Amino acid sequence: MAPRSVIADARDVRRASELIELGARLQVLESETALSRERLLRLYKEIQGRSPPKGMLPFSTDWFITWMPNIHASLFMGIYQNVIQASELDEIDAIIKTYRLYLEQCTVTGQEIVLSLTRAWRLVKFVDAGMLRTVRCTKCTGQFVAHTHDLIEGYVCGLCHMPSRAGKTRAAAKEALANDDMPLTLRRVH
Amino acid sequence: MKNSHLLDEIREANMTYLILAQRMIRDDRDEALYRLGVSEQVAEILADLTPGQMMKIATTNTLVCRFRFDDQMIWNLLTSHTKDIAAQSVAGVHAAILMSTHMAEAA
Repeated sequence: MAPRSVIADARDVRRASELIELGARLQVLESETALSRERLLRLYKEIQGRSPPKGMLPFSTDWFITWMPNIHASLFMGIYQNVIQASELDEIDAIIKTYRLYLEQCTVTGQEIVLSLTRAWRLVKFVDAGMLRTVRCTKCTGQFVAHTHDLIEGYVCGLCHMPSRAGKTRAAAKEALANDDMPLTLRRVH
Repeated sequence: MKNSHLLDEIREANMTYLILAQRMIRDDRDEALYRLGVSEQVAEILADLTPGQMMKIATTNTLVCRFRFDDQMIWNLLTSHTKDIAAQSVAGVHAAILMSTHMAEAA
């Protein structure tokens, strides 16, 4: 095997560190960098001060369609489309940049951080794979995340047409959030 | 002259905008493109401006930056007042989604 480029290695370490700081799961790191599992584990422990969580990644596209997650996923995709259009970043770097901007937007509008970095990464992969896409709301003209094969004739987004119980499950949401793969530093304390 | 005060204020606003824009582009170009809503070419020009050039651009009777959205819906979302903090916050996110959509389409 040819020796790995030192520059590529440095880039991978930088990417992995940024991803770990933002709360990425190990699977994301393994798929986006060429670093060995041992090195990633060491890096993870050094940055987060604990072992990475085990278990499978969330794999359902349905989560992105439920009310609150859909709003956040659509916001993320909106920013992502701008970032990727404007510059020649690699996909993973664009995801990192977009995620930072998304966190910022949540802070200024006083929203809980619903989308973890791992979810955001999954979202981009789902869109790449053609399982999810964005559709235009016929009322507000914004782009929202939807299943690729859903009927979109006369689509109206969850914000123009609020479900009656939307946002009424604060307590439940908080609990679900606590179980999510969010790093402690990113969780909002109430 | 009645307008000299106004012209001073316009120059100051322009100067502040140009300095901020340049700093943002130099700090993190990709992020700045999103925040400023300018093209890569414009960003390159802004990044290379000298203080003297900025002064020249700023000294005029018009503002160099303008509103990024003319959509009635976005204005309504951003200006709506409600006692419900949750609804207010959701309106903010809605506006952000619309703005990012329009930006991506304009590019």
